[in-house]
Amino acid sequence: MIHYTPLSDYDIIEDDLSSYEKHQTMTIDGKMCRVEQLDDGSYQLVQLLSTDPQDYLNQQYMPGTILTNGLST
Amino acid sequence: MGKEETTKKGQDQEQEQDQNSQSSLMQKIQQLGQSNVPQAPDSNIHILPIIGQVEGHVQLPPKNKTTKYEHLIPQIIAIEQNPKIEGVIVLLNTVGGDVEAGLAISEMIASLSKPSVSIVLGGGHSIGVPIAVATDYSFIAETATMTIHPIRLTGLVIGVPQTFEYLDKMQERVINFVTHHSNVTEEKFKDLMFAKGNLTRDIGTNVIGDDAVECGLIDAVGGVSHAMKKLNELIGENKQQDQQVIQ
Repeated sequence: MIHYTPLSDYDIIEDDLSSYEKHQTMTIDGKMCRVEQLDDGSYQLVQLLSTDPQDYLNQQYMPGTILTNGLST
Repeated sequence: MGKEETTKKGQDQEQEQDQNSQSSLMQKIQQLGQSNVPQAPDSNIHILPIIGQVEGHVQLPPKNKTTKYEHLIPQIIAIEQNPKIEGVIVLLNTVGGDVEAGLAISEMIASLSKPSVSIVLGGGHSIGVPIAVATDYSFIAETATMTIHPIRLTGLVIGVPQTFEYLDKMQERVINFVTHHSNVTEEKFKDLMFAKGNLTRDIGTNVIGDDAVECGLIDAVGGVSHAMKKLNELIGENKQQDQQVIQ
């Protein structure tokens, strides 16, 4: 792997492996989203992965939303 | 006591009747299909955001904002396949990333049969450059920058000549792609890449808005409205060509 970026490797790579476990990708009502698990076990939506601009207007997929039900991994 | 009870009963009955008439009204509305909430029409233009680091074969720590090729490439295929989608806008605000993943995304965008337009917002550095030029037409915001610098290697090097040759080939791939898909000449692009004194910690050049257009790397300076206008123009041309083929 060759990284082609003006940033230094130290800025990109860190040693804390536990941070990987908190992040995952899941589908919410058919749309792929990146979520982060919070300390209380619930999930927070980090990023919506869609190419349809209309999806970004849907409040359900607003970044920062805490997900409570209707999840499918 | 008795009087109160009867009035209470009367109120309950009224309420029940009210509820009944409401629910039957709801049923009627549902049957007539008039209770639908108006929905936004499907967009014929889709977007591909390329943000943060372009992630390759190694997963980067979550503190980085990343664009993963395993997400993007299926999306590009879906855009190509869906007849309702007529054009793509690629939004770039990236600091570069994995060479192979970046080139893979660039090649996928370049080989789309549907019109594509890119906008460099903020920054389109390093591997962001081939992605930006891969589209049919490219825009850069007036304040956006693109850093062009040589590909480097950090860490353990075994066999210096071989490593140098490998790096040189990697660099050649990027240079070839950029010169084939934009108006910049190989000579000019190499000049920018190996220029001294422009960057504090590295050799290379940081081209801003107008400069990127001047050297032929990007087609025009502009923002969202310019990009939408250009894309709609390209979609129109694409449709005309299709009709001619049918006739």
